Amino acid sequence: MLFVEFRFFWFFLAVFAVYWSLRENRNRKIWLLLCSYFFYACWNWKFLFLIIASSGLDYFVGTMLARTESPNKRRGWLIMSLTANLGTIAFFKYYNFFVTSAAALLAWLGLHPSLHTLNIIIPVGVSFYTFHSMSYTIDVYRRKLEPVRSPLDLACFIGFFPQMVAGPIVRATQFLPQLRSLRRFADVDVRGALVLFLTGFIKKACIADGVAPFVDRYFDAPWNFTAGSAWVAVLFYAIQIYCDFSGYTDMAIATAGLLGYELPVNFRFPYFAANISDFWHRWHISLSTWLRDYLYIPLGGNRGPAWFVYRNIMITMLLGGLWHGGAWTFVIWGGLHGLALVVHRAWSHRRDVLPHVRDMQKRVPPKGPQSFAGWLAWLLTIYWVCLAWIFFRAVDLPHAAPALRSFFFLPSHGTEDIGAWMLWIVAGLGFVHWLNFRGTFSTWWRRPSAPVFSAGYGCAFAVVLLFIPPHYAPFIYFQF
Amino acid sequence: MSTSTITRNVLCVGIALAAFIATSAVIHSLLPPIIPKGVAAKLEFFAQHKDEFDTLFVGTSSVYYSISPEIFDEITRQNSLATHTFNFGIDAMHPPENFYVLDQILKTEPRNLKWVFLETANVETKLHKVLGTERAVYWHDWRRTALTLRKALNPRGDGRWYIQASRLWVARRDLAAHLNLFAQRFGNVGRAAEFLFPQNRKAEAEIELGPRRDGYRLAGHAMSAEEAASFQKRLADELAQAQPKPLDPQADETYRRYAARFREIGAAPFFLVPPLIFQSPIRFRETPPGQLLSFNDARTYPMLFETKVRIDDAHLTKEGAEEFTRLLGREFVRRARQP
Repeated sequence: MLFVEFRFFWFFLAVFAVYWSLRENRNRKIWLLLCSYFFYACWNWKFLFLIIASSGLDYFVGTMLARTESPNKRRGWLIMSLTANLGTIAFFKYYNFFVTSAAALLAWLGLHPSLHTLNIIIPVGVSFYTFHSMSYTIDVYRRKLEPVRSPLDLACFIGFFPQMVAGPIVRATQFLPQLRSLRRFADVDVRGALVLFLTGFIKKACIADGVAPFVDRYFDAPWNFTAGSAWVAVLFYAIQIYCDFSGYTDMAIATAGLLGYELPVNFRFPYFAANISDFWHRWHISLSTWLRDYLYIPLGGNRGPAWFVYRNIMITMLLGGLWHGGAWTFVIWGGLHGLALVVHRAWSHRRDVLPHVRDMQKRVPPKGPQSFAGWLAWLLTIYWVCLAWIFFRAVDLPHAAPALRSFFFLPSHGTEDIGAWMLWIVAGLGFVHWLNFRGTFSTWWRRPSAPVFSAGYGCAFAVVLLFIPPHYAPFIYFQF
Repeated sequence: MSTSTITRNVLCVGIALAAFIATSAVIHSLLPPIIPKGVAAKLEFFAQHKDEFDTLFVGTSSVYYSISPEIFDEITRQNSLATHTFNFGIDAMHPPENFYVLDQILKTEPRNLKWVFLETANVETKLHKVLGTERAVYWHDWRRTALTLRKALNPRGDGRWYIQASRLWVARRDLAAHLNLFAQRFGNVGRAAEFLFPQNRKAEAEIELGPRRDGYRLAGHAMSAEEAASFQKRLADELAQAQPKPLDPQADETYRRYAARFREIGAAPFFLVPPLIFQSPIRFRETPPGQLLSFNDARTYPMLFETKVRIDDAHLTKEGAEEFTRLLGREFVRRARQP
């Protein structure tokens, strides 16, 4: 079941109506958990046991961590949790990748062992809910969080349906306190949530799915296309992945919001980032902060000599790339971002502009580039980000090569053309996005009275449905 | 929450729903009907040449690839009952989709139609996913959706006035799928694409209409030896189990209604069962609303069930289609001359 499906409307209507009609917080949580498991079971009920097992194990580990003071024993319990959670991801997502990579390496060394891959179905959202789960154990281990008394709370946190399958990656410290108190409907920003849901719906169903066929057509056989088509396809993919993922996140935040829960912001206009470091403060924020807090800082973070910090950045970004899936293209994507972050950090230190960058990142809402140098930095950033998207989208390296050639302004041997006029669509969408970035649409919808808003919302949804493309593209981040 | 707050919130939800329905209805009334490419090609051609044809075949691919208007007209001409025929067969156009298409045909107001052959089958509640969304959505107006839901909830027509919970559970997927398609159609989902990215369907239309532009084209080659052995075995099983099967009440009732509507415009309805592997004779529940021509009988028509003239369970090769059309033509002439 997806947020853009008709059946989700009925599902959520039932969840919403029953949830707010229940008076007891415990009953509400039981209802939420049942609905969340049903939501997941609609995709594949067999993998439900994986979530239940993960929740059960981390509840047990959390309880044991609270009971023992011995550092060695505590470390042992943490390792047990991490091994189980990361082992699950490793098996489902990386088993075949490691086997094929090992086979390729051995073949290169002249050995030909008999290694077999498995026909593995990757459970939807496995990377997300295991990260939710791990954040709980690590925070309990670090004594930042008291272990939950009720397994219901932890199961609700890990399985909460809006964020279970594609994030945002919620920390236990953010969500568990919300579960402890009874939510009040009067505190819910219904109008804000409804507008956010519609925005997410437009992003995903109209824009991302609208450009998807052109992207798919190009990346299926990129060598057949002209250089202009490569530019259109790559820019379309940048739009697709942003609208797909941020659209899903908007709908997830809105859905949770209607139930009285607050999920963290995941995107802050990343394509208007002033530099690559700023980009990672705006793109998939919940993952980048998770990696920062649970990987980058434990590795040493910004402490130590420059080469040590660069090493930490590269490890974090390479693993961040690998988190998306078992393929070298994802590793290269992470590596390119890591390299850019290293270069930017070295440049910033050399020019001593880091405080300025920090100030800029704190601005809410950001103003965008203000000077020629700022525009140049923005252009370079967006170019690099799009370049990295080529690896992210291509199924393998040979499929990435033709797009890369075109992106480096080298001639293409292909003759098929997507149509350069489509760059106008990019410009049009970019303009609307820029208006939104400047806050043009931020508050006017709060002014009308509730009945007028309701009527307008109904009309707007009817018009939006017109623009949904006839084909359907699944959420890109579901595979991760 | 106080009662007044709940009332206000429910009122707002009601306003939003009403605004959604009203806007969708207005947009729906302003937009032309969606007709998928395969159907549109034949419908547009028929609308342009409606008065040139006096005989029409409407059905699935079993009609599309198996009845040659050229041969049919030749047989009727030889028997002094000249016809000018158009084959309106469409891949997988089962009831109730065919009823929607019959409505579209009737809307063109053909003046010279004398004979209409309707492939006869039960109402299908399962959707053919390979056909794609557009093909599934376009015929889901309320009348056809209601017909499908009635069939799903009461397949044998012996249900009580209320819906049994067990039946509702069994039919839940069909109900959800068809209501979803109805909502998609009513909500005009994706209709802007037709105007933003108009497709030139001329080349596709030419293919659909066939080389002689009479709606007929060839399907393929005869089955392999392995497939032939499997076909013969299944045919033997079908023959052993064959027994008269009445049409489901929903199909029966709807065929009668269309038979009456075609009679109103001066056309005689014929009901046709092509040479399918399914060997049970199909029967109307009461007196048939028109002549029923059944060819799904390997004992009476063994030449249509020889593996060398068959592509698969439902389709014939060129030789098979020609043989079938000749048999059909002769049978039609014989029946048409009956008082």
